[in-house]
Amino acid sequence: MTKMTFTFLLAALMAISLQSMAQEPSKQKDAHDHSGHAATQNDEHDHSDNAMDPHDHSGHSMSQQSGAAVDHAAEHGAVDDHGHDHSIDHSQHDTQATEHGDLHHHHHMDHDHIMDHEGTMIMGQNLDKLPSSCKSISEEVEITVRAGRKYAAKFPGTAFAFDQQQWHVKPCAKVTWHFVNEDNVRHQFMMHGLPKYLYKYGMFHLEVTGPKTVSGTIIVPGSDDTFLVHCDISHHMEKGMKAQLVVGKGGDDIPSIPGVTPYNINDSYQAENLPKPSDKAEPNAVMRQITAFTNNNFRNYGMMAIGALIGLLCIPIIRAVAFGNKGN
Amino acid sequence: MPTHIVIALLTVYSMLFAGSAQASLKLPETVKVDRAALTSEPMCDPKISPAWREAQEIEGVKIDASPGCSPDNPAWVAAAVKGTNHISMDTLMKTGLSPDAIIKTDDLDGDGDPDRIVIKLEIMELNGKSPDFPGIVPTFDIAPGIQPGAWVFAPKTSGMSTENFESVRANPLLRLPSPVIRVEVGDIVEIVLENTHYFPHSIHLHGVDHPFSHGEHGGQDGVPQTSEVELMPGGRRVYQFQPRQPGTMFYHCHVQTHTHLAMGLAGMIVIEENRPNNWLQTLNIGGGHVRHPSVAVREQFDQEYDFHYHAMDKELSEIVQKYNDPRLIARDMNQRYDLTDATEDYFTLNGLSFPYTLRESLILVEPDQKIKLRLLNSGGELIAIHTHGHHATITHYDGVEHNPMAQIMRDVFDMAPAQRLDLKLETVNDGKHSYGEGDWLIHDHREKGITTNGMAEGGSMSSIVYKSYLGEDGMPKVSHFGIDLSEFFTKEYYERRYPVWQDLDEWASLGSPAGQTGFDPATQTSLLNALYGLLIGLTIYFVFAKRERIKKGFSAAFSRLKSPKGSNE
Repeated sequence: MTKMTFTFLLAALMAISLQSMAQEPSKQKDAHDHSGHAATQNDEHDHSDNAMDPHDHSGHSMSQQSGAAVDHAAEHGAVDDHGHDHSIDHSQHDTQATEHGDLHHHHHMDHDHIMDHEGTMIMGQNLDKLPSSCKSISEEVEITVRAGRKYAAKFPGTAFAFDQQQWHVKPCAKVTWHFVNEDNVRHQFMMHGLPKYLYKYGMFHLEVTGPKTVSGTIIVPGSDDTFLVHCDISHHMEKGMKAQLVVGKGGDDIPSIPGVTPYNINDSYQAENLPKPSDKAEPNAVMRQITAFTNNNFRNYGMMAIGALIGLLCIPIIRAVAFGNKGN
Repeated sequence: MPTHIVIALLTVYSMLFAGSAQASLKLPETVKVDRAALTSEPMCDPKISPAWREAQEIEGVKIDASPGCSPDNPAWVAAAVKGTNHISMDTLMKTGLSPDAIIKTDDLDGDGDPDRIVIKLEIMELNGKSPDFPGIVPTFDIAPGIQPGAWVFAPKTSGMSTENFESVRANPLLRLPSPVIRVEVGDIVEIVLENTHYFPHSIHLHGVDHPFSHGEHGGQDGVPQTSEVELMPGGRRVYQFQPRQPGTMFYHCHVQTHTHLAMGLAGMIVIEENRPNNWLQTLNIGGGHVRHPSVAVREQFDQEYDFHYHAMDKELSEIVQKYNDPRLIARDMNQRYDLTDATEDYFTLNGLSFPYTLRESLILVEPDQKIKLRLLNSGGELIAIHTHGHHATITHYDGVEHNPMAQIMRDVFDMAPAQRLDLKLETVNDGKHSYGEGDWLIHDHREKGITTNGMAEGGSMSSIVYKSYLGEDGMPKVSHFGIDLSEFFTKEYYERRYPVWQDLDEWASLGSPAGQTGFDPATQTSLLNALYGLLIGLTIYFVFAKRERIKKGFSAAFSRLKSPKGSNE
């Protein structure tokens, strides 16, 4: 009987000591959880307070202006290649081109290249030429694409992004893109792989220094396919500004689109030994004494207890061996 | 049977012996690298039109002849002089610049030139990692096959970062070094930094007269610890100033300066004296020859050159090729890279190392000329630039004129990091200013400065070349001395795979030895010894095993020898 109670006691001691050992990691976990919460809250705040409000306004006003521009250009497209000089909107000039007080400006156009004095550019626009695979335009769609650093926030490890990473349209759709650059630097909406008989180099390209909007129209081919969309400014695509246009059921996915397709080449990550608040969280003196006692002593006594337990369990064997020897 | 074995062994032994004797008579053959096996590049870049070298006038801008192999695009010069707002669309399209890259307006002092200058700079990465394929993009070679990761201030461009969609080579505007900026005393200058890079940056105007803080734009010394917060990716900041003093100055990023400067975010900025009708070449992209010098420079000199010396650490520049995730790049650069343990590996002049310096950074002179050289050292260590065949006069230190009575002539110019020197180089053949015509080297005399990652000839080496020594393709004429520079235009040379002296004579006396064929002499000897042993062992065994037979044989022989005697008896 006494033996039994003793072993129970020992078992209890062991359990306690193990618990005290396990305490530290569990504390760390807690801390992590908290920080995680804090971060997500911050994100939400960022969106609602700083970024969205002012940008939204500019975005809206801009896209209205450029909507006019598109109409303008559309008319010209209809009249065929006359009157290139008018092709980009003058409203943008009047309202905001005055940062440096110069009123000189350029209009450039071969039939598929329009640029204003600030470098706002539309290349490879197609308003009316049907791809050979289409009998008629299936649908007319307007898509607003926002570009900026803030859209990279939801993809860790990126620096720039579009607000969406993929768009779906029907084959033979006529798509008007409103490209809203919300940063204060140049960004591009550059699409590749379009049929070369309609699009020079198979490209459709919008470019604008933000905050500003530029719009352009294309007619997509009649077969299911997926087209690369990216910003070609050095390392903007590599660092997140990449998307795809899915026509119909789409073709092969394009690699390394944030949140859509995996990278071809991945970096390797290792957690770092970063300082944590729990490292220096100091309990009060009494608690510290108790925990110090429990931490050290319980660990020591616990190990002693385990040793004793093993010793007790071994008694029958030793006995057997000893008596066995004597018996012999 | 046993006799066969014995004979075979003896033959093997004798053959081996003969072989070893022969091997010790002759060392391995010389293996010569076949030139056809090298990736040879043309010495002069064929993409550049020879017409660019001629003196010409574009948009009313007089552009000096620049007979070197790769002169500046004349359209760049015209755009930089007139401003991108004053040139035709046709010229603009030839530059690749954004239409708002250089805006010049308002002749405020009524002297015939614009005084309000807006210069837009972007920040571009060269030779960085891609998550899509194992290579790097956009590529920029400082020497054949040498592609260090780098960052530059680039003039605001239009369109793609590469030459075209098929190429990974950088658009010619995206290159080392950051462009040389030229403005006039009294100009109201706005440098607009549009941070297209994925890291925070700034501009510090080292030596340029600028207010610490500007009413409209805030603090503008470029220092995140004193005047302003870091300019984040996607952001824009204006640095506005109206300089009162002329001089050769320096601009660079002051965020994490110990790495950002070495990565290439550093350039020369020249404040020119105010003169009437002084239309300046606001940007000298790629540095080197100034094809449209200022009025003040033209008054005193025949030519002007901007020489920007820089140095980069291989280990630092590799960080942007190791990771794509900006967080990992930031971690390695900011927390793990230790500049105090670092060494510089690449030494460049105007963004390039020898032999590419021969394409762009030759000083092309004629006798009895006065040439203005503006030197900047943006590397991390002191350099010592030596001019072969010439002593030049130091006229300015750090943009400030040295007392004309006390100006000195030297042939080694030591420059501390960030230091600028203005030199007056006179090609007067008097044994002091010049020793006469030639193709005279100009190089950093710290000998590592003439290496590329330790491989000579490389580094920031270039030449002062007299017209009579310049070939038609704009490269120095050296073949009449029997010199062939073509091996330097191969990446294998800098990969250390070309025996440097193999072609100095016909039989490549200092070429590369072939590897040992068969065994080396020591192994051969020990093998022979082992064979001796084997042979002896076999003989002993043979004797032992056949001892009965041998005994019998011997006894038979004895008996035969005896028997005649016996029969006789």
